Amino acid sequence: MTILLQSGWGLFIGRFHPLLVHLPIGILIIAFVLEWLSRFRQLAVLGAAVLPTLLFGAISAVAACVAGYLLSLSGGYDEAALNLHMWMGIAVAVLSIVLCIFRKYGLFRKSWLPVSALMILALSVAGHYGGNLTHGEDYLTAAWPFGKKQAPAAAAYKNIDDAKVYEHLVQPILEKKCYTCHNEQKLKGGLRLDGIAHIRAGGENGPVLKDSIPEMSELYKRLILPESDDHRMPPKGKPQLTPLDLEILYWWIQQGAPDSATVRELKKSPRIQLAFEGMKPSGDGTHPYMPLSETAEPPTEAVNALVHTGLKVMPVAANSGFVMVSAVNAPAFGNAEAQLLQPLGKQIVWLNLAGSAMGDSGLQVIAGLPALTRLQLEYTGVTDQGLQYLSNAKQLKYLNLTGTKITDKGLGYLHKQAGLQEVFLYGTGVSAAGVEQLRKALPDANVDTGGYRMPVLATDTAVFRKNPS
Amino acid sequence: MIMAEKIIQEANDRAARFFSRRHFLNDCVTGLGATALGSLLGGCNLFSGSSAAPVQSLNPLEPRAPHFPARAKSVIYLHMAGAPSQLEMFDYKPELEKLHNQLCPQSILEGKKFAFIRGVPRMLGPQAVFQQHGESRAWVSDYMPHFAERVDDVSFLKAVQTDQFNHGPAQLFMHTGSARLGRPSIGSWVTWGLGSENSNLPGFVVLTSGGKTPDAGKSVWGSGFLPSVYQGVQCRSKGEPVLYLSDPDGLNRDLRYQGIQAINEVNRLEYEAFQDPEILSRISQYELAYKMQISVPGVMDINNEPQYIHELYGTEPGKESFANNCLLARKLVEKGVRFVQLFDWGWDAHGTDEATAVNYGMRNKCREIDKPISALLLDLKQRGLLDETLVVWGGEFGRTPMQENRDGKDMPYMGRDHHVEAFTMWMAGAGVKRGGSWGETDEIGFSAVKGQVAVHDVHATILQQLGFDHEKMTYQFQGRPFRLTDVHGHVIQEILG
Repeated sequence: MTILLQSGWGLFIGRFHPLLVHLPIGILIIAFVLEWLSRFRQLAVLGAAVLPTLLFGAISAVAACVAGYLLSLSGGYDEAALNLHMWMGIAVAVLSIVLCIFRKYGLFRKSWLPVSALMILALSVAGHYGGNLTHGEDYLTAAWPFGKKQAPAAAAYKNIDDAKVYEHLVQPILEKKCYTCHNEQKLKGGLRLDGIAHIRAGGENGPVLKDSIPEMSELYKRLILPESDDHRMPPKGKPQLTPLDLEILYWWIQQGAPDSATVRELKKSPRIQLAFEGMKPSGDGTHPYMPLSETAEPPTEAVNALVHTGLKVMPVAANSGFVMVSAVNAPAFGNAEAQLLQPLGKQIVWLNLAGSAMGDSGLQVIAGLPALTRLQLEYTGVTDQGLQYLSNAKQLKYLNLTGTKITDKGLGYLHKQAGLQEVFLYGTGVSAAGVEQLRKALPDANVDTGGYRMPVLATDTAVFRKNPS
Repeated sequence: MIMAEKIIQEANDRAARFFSRRHFLNDCVTGLGATALGSLLGGCNLFSGSSAAPVQSLNPLEPRAPHFPARAKSVIYLHMAGAPSQLEMFDYKPELEKLHNQLCPQSILEGKKFAFIRGVPRMLGPQAVFQQHGESRAWVSDYMPHFAERVDDVSFLKAVQTDQFNHGPAQLFMHTGSARLGRPSIGSWVTWGLGSENSNLPGFVVLTSGGKTPDAGKSVWGSGFLPSVYQGVQCRSKGEPVLYLSDPDGLNRDLRYQGIQAINEVNRLEYEAFQDPEILSRISQYELAYKMQISVPGVMDINNEPQYIHELYGTEPGKESFANNCLLARKLVEKGVRFVQLFDWGWDAHGTDEATAVNYGMRNKCREIDKPISALLLDLKQRGLLDETLVVWGGEFGRTPMQENRDGKDMPYMGRDHHVEAFTMWMAGAGVKRGGSWGETDEIGFSAVKGQVAVHDVHATILQQLGFDHEKMTYQFQGRPFRLTDVHGHVIQEILG
């Protein structure tokens, strides 16, 4: 082993570890499956295949262990996770050899299946921690489909001036492009980049930031080396930083790598100014009719049930669970079908029922949709009674009642809905006094009764000519 | 039914032509590969089955989600073909008044090219009386008295720039993002991206005021390299709303239905064989046309509108007019049409005759649009639609602060040449700042000095309000991704609320 290391072959062989580990994983699982299947009378013949399979598995497991050990000597891994991974790997190798011996000499027949199962368990644990070492601890959990979706990062600030330089601009770059190798478990070059204190602490070759001079700071210097250079970061073949990323890091280091300053508080160079101009948030996250948090995807059956009534159900955005629902093609959608909206309560944010058969009793259901912010009821049979039900929908921001039969009595039910921002009452039975009261009760809302007219002007009909005749 | 059998027979004959030895061998190879690949991909796809969208038909107009929640559900784009003079409408230049009739300084003309101006032209002062209006104190001339009252609903772009000084290319540039033929129009991109909310109406409707059609032809609402189902459908406010849509004499609706069913069945077989998206376009066009036979006459009929609305817009049913089109635009948007494109004509105020004089012909054009546009804004507002409808107004370029001197001669009437360096557009609704203004021109309105906005910036802003990141909205064609904004475009945040 020492010869290997001294000759420089050690690391080369070590790098085969990620390749070799997959052999015992595959082969030993097959061995276990064969072992188990051979218990069935019709498949007993498979028993003969177990030993050779195990043998191959054991050999490859030993090879993987050796390569893994050589790789671990290159350093840069979290001790605890590495130890667990290593001992589990060795356990797999040992158990597979033990099983080979048992099989070969027909010892302890009863233990074959349980020991195989134990081996697979060790294999799974070793594999999992191996994955964590390579890809980072949250590689798997971050992709967990049933977890809460992360709100888009852009929502953190409306204006680039309000963005915190480290938290909102620098950290996301490091997270995307650097964390995989410089994290708690995998400290390549002894360097962690997942936290400002770790960055300041530097790596085994010393600090990575120097005196606010990006050109002398390893954290920047290495990023602009030619891709073929050994010291280039991220190494060849890994996702690279974009020119915009580089500008941001440069500016941040130049400004002394502050940890909590906002963009406004720092001096902006002309270059970073240009960079920021190119960085418009895609969707500023300040949509007036969108909840701030995300929601789960809508249940497919409930969506299909609505679609079958002729309703259009559309996600408001890609990667969003929220949906808008429109009855533009479903004039028959009415009270009886309103119940179908209920299962999508967490998802429906915008509901357009203009011109549909919806009436008062349906509004009982609709008022109970907790995420609904925008409700269009133009030209429906909704009356004052329906608005009484609707007074429970406190989260409602936009309410369109154009062309309905509602009167001042109905408006009275809206007085306590402080969240309302837009109310449209054109073509309804409301009176000026009723509207005035609503405006007083909801001073921030825009209450529009329409009926606009334009003055009649002489120029409306005048034809302009050189010689008016 | 005999007809249907005939069609199927013909399709079978056509299909038989594709069963040659070569096709057979080809099918064998791709068939094997596809089977293997299919099982591989299927294996990886275990989790993606839970997507929100229910199993959709092959309909290319099925509604789709944008990149992020949209402020605008629909767009009404009012294009004044011929290019209106910003200097008589919105860009007030008192200095130009003082320079009226003086020779244009050489320094301005140096290195510039104009469509018609030759030699040294004279300056032409504003031919309208300007006043500030509304809380935003926006300058609007007496050519647009009704619109002047609406300035607090809109945001002006006073320094839009283009690089094309001829109508055709400039219109193409304004509507497709490229001065050359072959790119999809804005409306096509939008319907491709979002689909259509109303499955009985086209997603993209074009209305022209009669008279001249745009110089760039129908390409300004064409679908370019996108499947043709996304091109604009031209509707008329006079006569039959859509040409060739009604059934011929002697064909009843039932028979029409059966015919379309049979044709679509054959087309579906064709699609299964060739996977050409144009076949899907054809299928959905047939289906849509059949549905439109019922839905279009209803939505395109303005007779049922109350008298109040007719007075507001100044509409006269049965006529082909910009006013009628404005009212139709509101009705279409109300019914969930994504993109309504209006083209008005006759704005090319060169001053060659009375109709193209800025103070006669163009003033009359202003009168024709002033009331309908103001009515459209008010009507959208009172129905709560302005909140989710983006209204865009503009021409393909602007007009010079100099009097045109075609061929170096004085013109009989006051007119202005095509001008690319600065002109005015405005937007309203759907999250656009109310009473906003961005961009400034110099003292005589020749060059933009602040807040310059390119045509692609306007496109980027429209897409942004519809929920799209214009840089990510790409279509793969001829081996590379294409965008409406090509490699340009910045969202004009300054006019977004």
